[in-house]
Parts: sequence; structure tokens; C-alpha cells
Amino acid sequence: MLEVLHSLLFSTLDAAPALVFAALGAMLSERAGVVSVGVEGMMRTGAFCAAVAALVMPTPLAVGVGMAAGAGIAAVHGFLSIRWRSDQVVSGMALNLVAMAGGTYLLESFFGPNGTPSITQLSRWNIPGLSQVPLLGALSGHAAPTYLALTLPFLFHLLLSRTPLGLRLRAVGDKPHAVATLGLSVPALRWGAVLGGGMMAGLGGAVLSTTVLDRFEQHTPSGLGFMALAAMVFGRWTPLGAFAAALFFAAGNALRIGLASSAPWLLDLVPQGFLLALPYLLTLLVLALQGQRGHAPAALGIPFEQESR
Amino acid sequence: MGERARQVLPSVLSVLLALAVCWLLIAITRDADTATRAYVQMLWGGVGNWPAFLDGGSATSVTRPLGEAAMKAALLTLTGLSVAVAFKVGLFNIGAQGQMIWGALAAALVGAHVALPGALHVPLALAAAAVAGAAWASIAGVLKLKRGVHEVISTIMLNWVAVSLVDNWLVIGPLRAVAEGASSITGTAEILPSAQLPRLLGDSSRLNLGFPLALAAALGVWVWLTRTRSGYETRAVGLTPEAARAAGIPTLWRAGGAMALAGALAGLAGAVLVLGTEGRYPGSLGAPYGFDGIAIALIGNNHPLGAALAAAVFGVLRAGGTRMQLLGVHKSFPELIQGFALLFVAGRMVWLALLARRQKRAQAQAQAGVEVPRA
Amino acid sequence: MSLEDASLDIVPGELLAVVGENGAGKSSLMNVLYGLYHPDAGTFLMDGKPVRFKSPRDAIAKGIGMVHQHFMLVPTLTVAENVVLGREPTKRGLLDLDRACDEVAATAKRFGFQLDPRARVDTLTVGSQQKVEIVKALHRGAQVLILDEPTAVLTPQESDELSQVMRGLVAQGRTVVLISHKLKEVLGVADRVAVMRRGRTVAEVRASETTVSALAALMVGEGSRGAAMTGVPATAVTATHLTGTGTTGAAAALPPAPVEPAAASTGPVVLEAKDLRATGDNGRPALQGVSLTVRAGEIVGIAGVDGNGQRELAEVLTGLRKLDGGEGTLLGGPLVGLTPALAKARGVGHVPEDRLARAVVKAMTVEENVALGRHRQPPFARGPWVDFKGRRERTEQLLTGYDVRPNDPTVALQALSGGNQQKVVVARELDARPELLVVVQPTRGLDIGAVAQVHERLRDAKARGAGVVMVSLDLEEVLALSDRVYVLYEGRVTGHFPRKDLDERELGRRMLGAEASHG
Repeated sequence: MLEVLHSLLFSTLDAAPALVFAALGAMLSERAGVVSVGVEGMMRTGAFCAAVAALVMPTPLAVGVGMAAGAGIAAVHGFLSIRWRSDQVVSGMALNLVAMAGGTYLLESFFGPNGTPSITQLSRWNIPGLSQVPLLGALSGHAAPTYLALTLPFLFHLLLSRTPLGLRLRAVGDKPHAVATLGLSVPALRWGAVLGGGMMAGLGGAVLSTTVLDRFEQHTPSGLGFMALAAMVFGRWTPLGAFAAALFFAAGNALRIGLASSAPWLLDLVPQGFLLALPYLLTLLVLALQGQRGHAPAALGIPFEQESR
Repeated sequence: MGERARQVLPSVLSVLLALAVCWLLIAITRDADTATRAYVQMLWGGVGNWPAFLDGGSATSVTRPLGEAAMKAALLTLTGLSVAVAFKVGLFNIGAQGQMIWGALAAALVGAHVALPGALHVPLALAAAAVAGAAWASIAGVLKLKRGVHEVISTIMLNWVAVSLVDNWLVIGPLRAVAEGASSITGTAEILPSAQLPRLLGDSSRLNLGFPLALAAALGVWVWLTRTRSGYETRAVGLTPEAARAAGIPTLWRAGGAMALAGALAGLAGAVLVLGTEGRYPGSLGAPYGFDGIAIALIGNNHPLGAALAAAVFGVLRAGGTRMQLLGVHKSFPELIQGFALLFVAGRMVWLALLARRQKRAQAQAQAGVEVPRA
Repeated sequence: MSLEDASLDIVPGELLAVVGENGAGKSSLMNVLYGLYHPDAGTFLMDGKPVRFKSPRDAIAKGIGMVHQHFMLVPTLTVAENVVLGREPTKRGLLDLDRACDEVAATAKRFGFQLDPRARVDTLTVGSQQKVEIVKALHRGAQVLILDEPTAVLTPQESDELSQVMRGLVAQGRTVVLISHKLKEVLGVADRVAVMRRGRTVAEVRASETTVSALAALMVGEGSRGAAMTGVPATAVTATHLTGTGTTGAAAALPPAPVEPAAASTGPVVLEAKDLRATGDNGRPALQGVSLTVRAGEIVGIAGVDGNGQRELAEVLTGLRKLDGGEGTLLGGPLVGLTPALAKARGVGHVPEDRLARAVVKAMTVEENVALGRHRQPPFARGPWVDFKGRRERTEQLLTGYDVRPNDPTVALQALSGGNQQKVVVARELDARPELLVVVQPTRGLDIGAVAQVHERLRDAKARGAGVVMVSLDLEEVLALSDRVYVLYEGRVTGHFPRKDLDERELGRRMLGAEASHG
């Protein structure tokens, strides 16, 4: 039993970072009032660029390239939605489609259908002594992103709740006009959040292709970006909430995969499809119960128009 | 610049720009010659190889590609209409994919397990698909209208619920076809011949009833929106809900009805896929037609006929995509063109600003008595 | 256009009130002072030196603070967070919330406010939120504090408290500019009063040397507009009254209105309402027991200062707002449970105040807008189908009849000027031959010709036998058209005048919450 729990915990921690980073990124952008349905595309771009970059440079650097690529996609989103006040959902979905088809095209043109060549994964760290401790041992043996994913949510929490910048970001997502009358720049704050969110989503994608896998595959990130959105909503647009939800969803995935291999008879009782649907069903349920806009930032999705003339 | 031009120009320019950008992409990754030849292949693959045909080639060199294009166009038209109809009441239906999944499943089940003569079987399967899609969309509709849950989030979630439940449970579990002999097949049982959408050109093309059906749907939606009382009310609700309410229009029913219709159209897309080409619910739908619908609707400027036109254009491009493989360009390339076109359409404001500036400059020059220079 | 040659002197350490009717340019002037709007011409001196504010940031730096009519607070943040936003105290890079709370508490205490710095703003009452706004400005070192219609959202008790706050600020050497149209309040608190009318500052008087009546006369002006448009003689207010010691009797009485015979309508009752109660959008009671009667063949004016329940009354009568209490009969059916569709079916016409939000779909064509609300019946529909031919013909008739330009049923409504849009709305509503017509601010923003035409049409409707309820903030309009006038103040009827007893001064006094005076 302990054995099973250990391996479940281990694989959860191994798979969670991509989801955690993407959920944090989406949350950052949305807290500042800019809808982030484009995370899937940002993750895909980050994953692809990191996988390709890792062919020619050390993997940690390649992860940085992935982050930059995510931010690049986010910049297009910012240009359309902040500068030109376009519909943020349209812009995000467009970027998803471009990233989806563009990734496939580039992959097929340069590498073929089986994904990019194998790369050196980020190295895993064994924490001396810890690996022998029951359960806690599951904390040892992961790559850097896992440990980052366990700390970043708290840093984001600190950022949002305890720094001047965080206060301004929250304010700009709830009532941008109040921020503007105090002489602060609404576009600048939103640009910052959107680019930061893009970097996080790019990081999430990069982690997929450098730790979970060792390449970029045809379908990466296979809907993980949308699951990150679910985690953000389920976590009520808070860093720690999104973190907890992302961990929960990742554990669900790990459980499902674990069951499929170790106890297939259980899956006859609870079909895999149910487990797969669970994160989304729970998110819907929470939204239905909360009603109204849930805990979404009040100005989410509304382009800001300076009233001065 | 007329109102019509303001509506149509950004879309046309976006598609052209997308074609140009993607040509450049091949030109950069390969070379300009390959890019041009790939585009020519895409065209022949979509509208038929007319030069070959006129040179005395067989008729299938034209009918086959056109049939493929029509098939793709039918699916894109229906999902595009689905998104466009929801937009008419101000709702963003990202859930066409999930609605289509349930529609496809319903059509597959009715097609395989109900024994009826053809004249009844096809309509029944289509109706079942429409109802299934409408029901799934109505979940999002009710959540929005009764609980205020934003439809973008709820339809995204519902998509994944549909994928999980259908593709990862029903189709591989309870509804999986009973394997005949040793060969195990994926997906549900094969539909009965009576449920197949009739082929219109016999064996020379896969063109089937789905295409005229989709066109009829586009026409029907257009007629409904512009010529009927309830269509008029629906548009009023989408444009100015408070004024519609003040005019005594039942706004909730109109919005909910439009969302259900959107789901029904997406469900029909699923039926056309299953009854027309696949013959069963396959392991999965294979392509994100529902997301394509967003692109088609927006490129078509949310006009039913505009969506049909955009679907025809991209149906041709996507059918032609397979021919691009002859030149080593992956068949998904037209989807990239479509994605870029949507991205450029998303920048509609940019286009309008550019066009307005151009017009202003022309006016200023005209006023100053200066001839507008011609390029 | 909202400002036209406006001038204002602000003297340090005084409480200056700026009064004027809606649309007189008060808020525009203040937004110029705060750097939100930029004037086309004119100069702006501060301590003798010319200054130019590019944005609120410049104004804040020069010690000007503004409390907007619609609060600029982030509801999900605490009081302290709202106050320090943009100039947050930090400790080692982190927000020092304790210090922020202390600072805010200190500022609040210095000016005599009771505020919990740690409370979330959305848990506070409106009155407290306003205090947060004031503290926010003071915390930024505002020497001049502009308050835009601060009492519009407050209860009388909160208003009294605010008056004390303002006096307290002045006592501490700050300067307060108060924008208001509640004259009684203004006189109770201000040192000096500047009166604005149609974008100009028309007078500046010491508060101790004037009265509500004199100010009301200044605000309403000489009535040249009325003379041109409605044929009502000007009220005989001259400049001597502006600065005079101003007793009520000093102003000449309104001459008898020659327009209509003063005979009261004896037509059947179309609306009988008792003790209507309803809640406004802000969640506060908007109607607190309104009773009124309307007969066929009369125009009943509803007068009052903006925000005293007129809008909500109109919404109740057209089925757009639910009643909390009260009862009544409207065209033979109960008023309780009325919906827009029911109201239409019974024959209620409606020309709402906010045309673009409520009356038209601006992106639709003119003919589609003419059909709106009647689109289910001939000549606009035939069965479930739109009747294009019937709709076109009827629209063409109406456009010609009402002289709408351009005379083209197929252009988008938004391509028309405001006046022509309003003509379309009026044409549509009257074409349905309503038995009760509810109009709100029917001529706001229209040019003189359009105003005259709309007025004529309302009289036609009355002559045809319709009961007309007309809400207007324009006293001249009320006086020119009404057979009877109800005055609303804070959701209650504070006056009811038949035509023969109409007296502009008395009306004005009731509108401002004054008690009935000398008979």
C-alpha cells in the first residue's frame, strides 16, 4: 500500500509542474483582466521551441528559450487585446489554432511524424537521505521544475498579496478606471501580466518536452493548457488555489495511469473516461454552485478605454 | 467606405495575408519554387485538376477533389454556423467540438441499431444528432442564463467532458463494436446501409448529401435570421439586450434557443461525418472541427452565408492539403493558413484603422486637388 | 460642447459650491481642473502661475484631489489598500500593510473620519466608501478637494455627516469645491456659490447673501430657450435677483400660461397607482410610496431633480422594474406583475431616457427599429414572417410624417443624428396609438427644431386621448406641456399641482425637498 502511494505521489510530482506553471501563468494574466484561453498555444510553442533549442544548447538554456517563445505568443495576444482592444477570446483561440497547426507543420517539415529527436532531459536531483524516508522519499529524484513548481505558487502568492506590484495588478483586473485616475498606466500593468503569463505558460510547455518527455510530440500538450484553465478557475483565480487544483488534477492523471497498469480491473468499475472528465466536471460544478462570475476578476475580458479626451 | 465593405474587406484581406504569410513560410523553410508549386497542388487538390481534365484526363481528376473539398466544407459550414448562431445572441460557443461529438455518437447509434427504410433512417439519425448536440449545448446555455457562468469557460470544460466520456469510455467500452472474427475494430458498430448519406456522383467522388445539407442549413439560418420574427428577435437580443427586453422580447428564451440551435448544428456536423464518410463513430473525431468552426464563423464575419463561403474556401484548401504532401509539405498546412487568417481577422480593428487612414488620406488629397497616386 | 467660456476663482480655505442644472457643465469643468479633460481654449492659473495638467497625475502632484460621482474604488481591496494604491509603503520590497493601515488610520483620524483600514471596501456602506475616497485624496496631500455630486448617493443622514466633514476640512485650511444641484444643502454648507448654466459661469454669490429661490432662478435662467421652443413666456428673473438679498417674493410670479386652457381632463382613468415602492439599481429604495393618477387626454408631468425616483417610476409603469410594494391599475389590468410584453399589449408606449440602451438597436436599420416591439403584428409581420413590404411602407410614411433625415428606411439607425433617432422612437411609439404614453427626458440633447416637433407630437397624442406621463428634468418643458405636475423628491411625491396652480418657484422648492411654504 505504502509502495503504491509512494509511486502515485512520485508520478504526481513528476507530472504536475507543467500544469502548475501554465495555471499560474493564466492566472497572472487574468488577474490583470486579460482572458487567457491561449495558454494551450503558448504551451505548445514553448514546448516546441525548447525541444528544438535543446538540440543545440544545454537543456536548461533551452527551457529559457521555451519561456521566451511563450512570451512571444503572449505579445501577439497583448498587441491585439491591449493595444487594439480586440476580443480577447478570439485572439486567444486564434493563437491556439496557429500554434496547433504551426507546430505540426514545423515538426513535419523538419523532423517527421515521430517528434523531434530525443534530447538530454533536465537532470534529476536525488536528495541524499530523503529517498529512504517512506512517502517523503517521493520528493526526491525529480528535476528542477518540480521543486520550482512547489515554491513558485507561494512566490506568486507573495507577489500578489504582499507587493505593491501585486496590489496594482489586482486593482487593474477589478477596476482599471480606479487605477487610471491615480495616474498609473493600465496598459503597462496589463502588458506586464500578459507577458509574464506567457513566460509561465511557455515554461510549462518547455517542461513537458524536457522532463516529462524527451522531445516534442505531435500532440503536445494535448489539452493540458485547457486543464490549466480549469485549475485556475477551480482555484478561484488565486495562486495557491490554482496550485492545489493543479496538483489535484495531476494526481488524478497519475492515479488513472497508475490504475491502468497496476489494477485494470478497477477501471472496469470506474471507467477511465470518468476519471479523465473529473477535473472538468468538478470545475463546472464549482462554477454552477458559485453562480454569477464566480471569483473572476470583475474587469476580466473588458477592453480598457481611457475616458479622458 | 460602405458598411458592406467594412464587413467584408477585413476578412478577405486577412485570408489573402494569411495565404501570403504561409507561402513565405514554405519559401523560407524550403524555397520559393516549392512554395508556389505546393500552392498550385493545393488548388488542384481542392477544385480539381482542370488542366489535366481538359487535356483529356478522366472526369475523376475533377470530381474526386471537388468531392473531398465539399465534404470538408460541409463539416466546416455546420460548425461555423454553430459558432455564428451563438454569436448572434452574444454568446461565444467554444463548445462546438463537444456538441459535435455527441451528435456523431447519436447518429452512429441510430444508424447502426435502428432498422428503418432509407427515407426515414437518415432523417431520424440526423434528428437524433441535432437533439444530442442541442442538449449538450443547452447545459452551457442554462449555466449561463440561470447561473451566470461564462459560456467560454463552461463550453471548454464541456468539450473535454465529452471527449473523456465518449472517446475514452463509451466508444472503447460499452458501445464498442463487437469484434467480428479476429480483426478488432475501433469505434462503434458500422451503420446500416440505409443510414448512409447517399453519394451524389456515384463512385467517382465521395461527394454526398452532407454538402447540400450544410448549404441548406446555411441558407435556412440566414432566412431565419433575416426573414422571420423570431430570427429578428434573436438578433435584437444579441445586439442590444436591454432594448430587446423593453420591446417585450423574451430575451432568455431567445438566447437559450440560439444556443440550442448552435448545438444542433454542431451535432449535425457530427452526423454528416459519421453517416457520410466514417460509417461509424471512429475512435475519435480525428480533427478539432469544432475549433475550426470558430475560425470559419469569424472569417465569415458571423454571417451564415459568409460562414458558408469561408467554409468553401477552406474546404478547398484543406482538401488540397493532401496533394501538398507530394512536395513534402504536411497535409495539415491549410490549417495553419486558417489559423493565421483567424488571427488577422481578430485584428479587425487594425484593418479598419488602416482602411480608414487610407480613405482619409485619399480624401485629403482629393480636397487639396491632388491626384491620388496610383501604384 | 459642454463648456463655453466658463470661469471660476477658487479661494484657498473656503468651501465653494458649483451649482447648475444637469448638463450645465459642472462636471466638465471639474474634470478639466483634474486633468481628465483638456480645454480647447482658456487659461488656468494656480497661485498666479499658469499650469497645464496633462493627466490626473499632474493634478495630484499640484495638490488637487477629486472624489468622482461614481466611486473609483477597487471593491475587493481593503480601505488601506485602496488609499495607498500607487504610492504603497514598503518594507524590504514587500508591501508594508501594517504601516499602510497606520498611515491611513492617522489620516482618517486627523480629519475626523471613522474608518477601519482593514475592512474590504465592498463591505462598506456607500457613505463610508465616500469617506474612503476623500481620505484617498487627502492622503495624497490634496489641498483642493473636488467633490462631484457627493450627496447624490447618500441618505439624508449621511449627507449631514458629509457636510460636517467638509466644514471640518475647511476649518483645517483645505479648500473644498462642491458640485451639486441640491440648493438647500449647498446653502447650508458653502461659503460661496458659483452658478453655471449651459457651459457658462453666470454668477458667483456669497452663500450668506442668497436663498434657495434666488439660486434656483439663476440656475433655470431667463428662459430664452423656452420662448423659442415652446411659446411659454420667460420667467421674469433679472440680474438684480442674482446678487440681491433674495427674498422669495422678490422674484416675479410666473405669468399665466396661455398655451392651453386650464380645464382638467375628465377622461377615464388610465393609470391609478397607490403607494408604489421599488428598489433602484444601487440597491437602495428608489420609490418609497408614490401614488398617482393619470387620465386619458392629459399630460402629467413628473418633475424632480435627477435621481429622485423618476426613472424608476417610468420603469415600473412600463414593466421594466419589479415593484416591491404598492398596487394599482394600468389600462384595466393590475400593475403588479407587469412585464414589458404585457405593458405593450395593454397599450403602453414608452420613450425611455437612455435611447441607445433601451429604445433602439443602433446597429439595425431604421425600418427594423421602427418594427421593434410591434414586430409580431401587421404591418410588420405576416404569420411568423417579417413583412418586408408592409414594414417598408409604414416606415416610409413615418419618416416622411416626422421629417426624419435622411428619409431612408434602410440605413443603420446609428447613422442618424441624435435628434432624428429620437424622432424615429417617438414616431414608432405614437404610431402604435398608445393609451398610456410614458416619456422620459424626451428632448434631451435635441436641437430646437426637433424639440418643438417632439413637443407638438406629445400634444397630439394627448389630443387624441392618450394619457401621457412625462418625466423631465427640464422645468421649462414640464411647465410648457403638463396639465398636472407631480414633484418627486427622494422617492416620494412632495407636491401635486394642477395647471392653474403651477408656480415655477414653488415647484423648484419642492424639487429641492423644501416644505410647502406660504400656501
